[in-house]
Amino acid sequence: MKKRMALLMGGALLATSVLSACGSNNGQNAAGGKTDAAKGNSNAPAVEDTSPLELSIAVHQAAEAPAKGNPMEQAIEKYTNTKLSFQWIPNSGYDEKINVMIASGELPKILKVSYVPTIISAMQADVFWEIGPYLKDYPNLAAQPETYYNNIKVDGKLYGLPVFRSVGRAVLQYRKDWFDESGQKVPKTLDEWYNVLKAVAENDPDKNGKKDTYGIMLDKNYNQGVASTLTRFSVMQGGPNKWEADEQGNFTPEFMTDVFNDTLDLFRRLYAEKLINQDFAVTDAQTIDKAYEAGRVALRISGGNAQSMQTNLVKVVPTAVMDAAALEGPGGIRVPAESGNAGILALPKSSVQDEAEMKRVMTFLDQLLDKEMVNLINKGIEGTHYSVEGDFTLPLDKDADAKEVKPYRDTLLQRGESYNMDKPMKQTELFQKNNKIVSDNEQYVVSNPALTLISTTYTERGSELEQMITDAETKYIMGKIDEAGWNAEIEKWKQAGGSSLMEEYKEAYLKNK
Amino acid sequence: MLQDKTIGNRIFDIINYTLLILIALVCVLPFVYVLAVSFTSPAEVARGGLILWPKEWSLASYRYIFSTDTLFRSMLVSIYITVVGTFINLLFTSLMAYPLAKATLRGRQFILLAVLFTMLFGGGMIPTYFVVKAMGLTNSLWSLMIPNAISAFNLIVLKNFFQQIPDGLEDSARIDGCTDVGVLFRIVLPLSMPAMATFGLFYAVGHWNQFFSAILYINDSRLYPIQVLLRQIVILAQGSIGDTSIDNIEIQPLTIRMAVIVFATVPILLVYPFLQKHFAKGVMLGSVKG
Amino acid sequence: MKQNVSTSAGTPGIKAPRGKAGTLLRDIIRDKWLYLMLLPGVIYFIIFKYVPMYGVSMAFMDYKPYTGFLGSPWVGLKHFERFFSEPQFGMLFRNTVILAVYNLVFFFPMPIILSLMLNEVRRAKFKNFVQTLIYIPHFVSWVVVVGIFYILLTTENGVLNELLYRITGEKIAFLLEAEWFRTMIITQSIWKEIGWGTVIFLAALAGVDLQQYEAARIDGASRWRQLWHITLPAIRSTIIILFILRLGNFLDSGFEHIFLMITPTNREVGEVFDTYVYTKGMTQAQYSYSAAVGLFKSAVGLVLVLGSNWLAKKFGEEGVY
Repeated sequence: MKKRMALLMGGALLATSVLSACGSNNGQNAAGGKTDAAKGNSNAPAVEDTSPLELSIAVHQAAEAPAKGNPMEQAIEKYTNTKLSFQWIPNSGYDEKINVMIASGELPKILKVSYVPTIISAMQADVFWEIGPYLKDYPNLAAQPETYYNNIKVDGKLYGLPVFRSVGRAVLQYRKDWFDESGQKVPKTLDEWYNVLKAVAENDPDKNGKKDTYGIMLDKNYNQGVASTLTRFSVMQGGPNKWEADEQGNFTPEFMTDVFNDTLDLFRRLYAEKLINQDFAVTDAQTIDKAYEAGRVALRISGGNAQSMQTNLVKVVPTAVMDAAALEGPGGIRVPAESGNAGILALPKSSVQDEAEMKRVMTFLDQLLDKEMVNLINKGIEGTHYSVEGDFTLPLDKDADAKEVKPYRDTLLQRGESYNMDKPMKQTELFQKNNKIVSDNEQYVVSNPALTLISTTYTERGSELEQMITDAETKYIMGKIDEAGWNAEIEKWKQAGGSSLMEEYKEAYLKNK
Repeated sequence: MLQDKTIGNRIFDIINYTLLILIALVCVLPFVYVLAVSFTSPAEVARGGLILWPKEWSLASYRYIFSTDTLFRSMLVSIYITVVGTFINLLFTSLMAYPLAKATLRGRQFILLAVLFTMLFGGGMIPTYFVVKAMGLTNSLWSLMIPNAISAFNLIVLKNFFQQIPDGLEDSARIDGCTDVGVLFRIVLPLSMPAMATFGLFYAVGHWNQFFSAILYINDSRLYPIQVLLRQIVILAQGSIGDTSIDNIEIQPLTIRMAVIVFATVPILLVYPFLQKHFAKGVMLGSVKG
Repeated sequence: MKQNVSTSAGTPGIKAPRGKAGTLLRDIIRDKWLYLMLLPGVIYFIIFKYVPMYGVSMAFMDYKPYTGFLGSPWVGLKHFERFFSEPQFGMLFRNTVILAVYNLVFFFPMPIILSLMLNEVRRAKFKNFVQTLIYIPHFVSWVVVVGIFYILLTTENGVLNELLYRITGEKIAFLLEAEWFRTMIITQSIWKEIGWGTVIFLAALAGVDLQQYEAARIDGASRWRQLWHITLPAIRSTIIILFILRLGNFLDSGFEHIFLMITPTNREVGEVFDTYVYTKGMTQAQYSYSAAVGLFKSAVGLVLVLGSNWLAKKFGEEGVY
């Protein structure tokens, strides 16, 4: 027992000495620190203060929290001359934890928040630094497209930096082998969609003698939030993205437009003819994923990559071939714009105490978009996570990447290959095709005019109002209510606050104009 | 017992046994499913349906979850808070329940009412956080044990159990010179093993299932118990409960999620069979006689 | 021994004369050890339960995390007024109460019945075996339970629905139809918690003296009579206490469970206070409003607990306090 204890202690000692041997900034104190700081200085001339900045950062926890002081963090610390302490907060309590942190004033210097009513009201109450006016002093931050910043503004002011994410992620992924075999083309108009979906459901493309294939499958979130399949469908067909605003500033919700209603009618017909899964209102997304992976479905509209679907699919159906296409309707490519971020990095005033400190933290955030950091955050450490081969880089260890690099990639600022990346990662053709559609989508996105408008009705009963309509959509598709019933639901929505929502948006829109 | 064997009794026994077997089978079904899926290859799972016995065995998911030390570390944390926490719970709860079981104690009713009141009304998350912080418990494992040292429910039910112990036994001990503390530890607790086993189990399971207070009170993710990880991997993947604004959660395959469930559930499942002997009928009086 | 116990019931030797000053002090001095034992628990409840109680005031404010309890404005009964005048209030109240009543009527007795069935088993090994199996579902989270029900009951190749189809030629959308919602919820609750619920009753039954059964059998009492006259009285006070305490949570419906089972087509019977508060509190950050709803639920619970306890005492039971 004692021996084992001794061994354990020895192991721990060894581990710490190895760690401190690697970290140039970590292990040494005052004496060695100076030279390191000097080095940091030459790398980043913007820094005036030479001692490393103590920086606490609270972000969402990935599947597993990376260990403190790991090589990734050391590399970031070394380049940015900081001393980082990440606090990884699990998703299941993130909002509550942040509320407790705000209430108790125990805020980190950088806090990841979402664009939701609580945070918006905190921003209005000046809990966070307004960084908009300073943006121009930071070359990397200033170089990013304005949309990303506009989408998170509150009353026209910017209170944080977006964790960048593509604006037009929706892509059509489909079974190329089935389409080729039956000589069909990717559908564009609603009629073409109907014909294709009918053909897949009835012609047994997997040739197993059973009627067990679908053209498309829906899950219970099919009409929820930014990734709503229904909205993506309707936008593709020429409809608005959630809201339509005319020149006078009159706002109309998507579900009161003709295109959206035509889309709804298509799904109602598909449901009645049993051409989509009949239990979609209770089916979770993972069950649908399994059906796609099992080769039972022909098309899907998603923010994922066709290559990963292909990889999973061939494990079950070796002959399957996936392909990707842009969402194209009768009027060309149209994709609903998403907010363009996976959260916002905000600087609380209670922890970042003065302007100088705020500027120092901003310098750190700006440095994250330097070439060296872009490479590190996206790909990890050369030799460990990737290797360089000619004009490309090759991933070395996917598991290590997922555990050691991805947590930082998901939470820090980066725009992948779109900004400051030296050499693109070598990927399959399909992967690249899918990615190219996503980046091309930026030209075709249809934005949501109400995205940053503030309405008291929305703050108070927005999710209730949304639920009224999404419930009614499901009931209409399932044939539980007819057209009169659907119109009655819209009327009910207007009474319950929908009308004032439309008015308030109009008001806010005209004010901001 | 032999003269029991009438026809009526036999029929009763047959029906009773059959029903119990059926209930047991139905109850064990979900866990068999979880267990089977965790050992099945992802390809078979993709084909869907209810899997109760893997056709294509695979240890891949276990290999995956054992590839890091995070699970083991959080398991140790869970075991620690469960063992130490349950000990604290039982000590504090029985210390308080015993005096409250005495009908002659002045102020007893007021205290019981005050305890009952806390079952119905609470200050909520933020004020409680302030107290835990003021006590200096945040960011230590004590924050998962001290703030829930006594459950009002268990206290009240345990008090009820204590009341059913015949007073005579205690009185004889008191005549022998024991104080009330001595009576509790020498007479009452040994007599209450079924109750101790029950509330020990309740408390242990409560500690084992804690995840929210861990997220709230603890900042260092190395101190998170296993349930935090379980929620992270399993619940969010399926339930879409929680932060609705985050839609890029990494979703692990079903097989891995089920393997994590098995890993996180089996230790606490093993507690019950060990406690079972205390539930045998007649334990209480048996021990008095012996 | 047994006789000894019954004759010395009560507390001999300390039957002090009632009333008058001095007796109180004498009683306290007599019970000094008992008070000392109470102390840690009392301190615990004061610090961790009563000090934070000021948080209840949130229901009467417009609370915001960054302004805190001191900086948030008082709004009186605004949130309560809003809650009671919500158009959905009637529906929420009806759904919550119906579900709570179903729970008391169908779910609450189940563990008792099962414990009695187990109590009749004479073979210790069989009994242990069954016990070990039946309490397992308690440890399976609602997400998994609901997931298994989906696999069994979905109309797309659900195991039970396929069976039903083969027998009757029809499928039933159990998970979608409003009329099946409450049946589903209660069935799932019973399935998950029946075994776990027996633990406490089995502990109570462990205290029953086997000699009583012996004596009853010699008198020729049937098993039913033994059950009625020996077993049930032994667990009666536990049943009553659990029932009273359950009434305190009368309006709690088990948020996670219900939330996972609600669909657009059964919401009119499925939406309860808990799910409604979730939408309000979590996704819209209306802390004060949620707190007001919570306070309302607690107040109802308090009335029910005090009422039922009073009733229990009237019938000569010990009750909770």
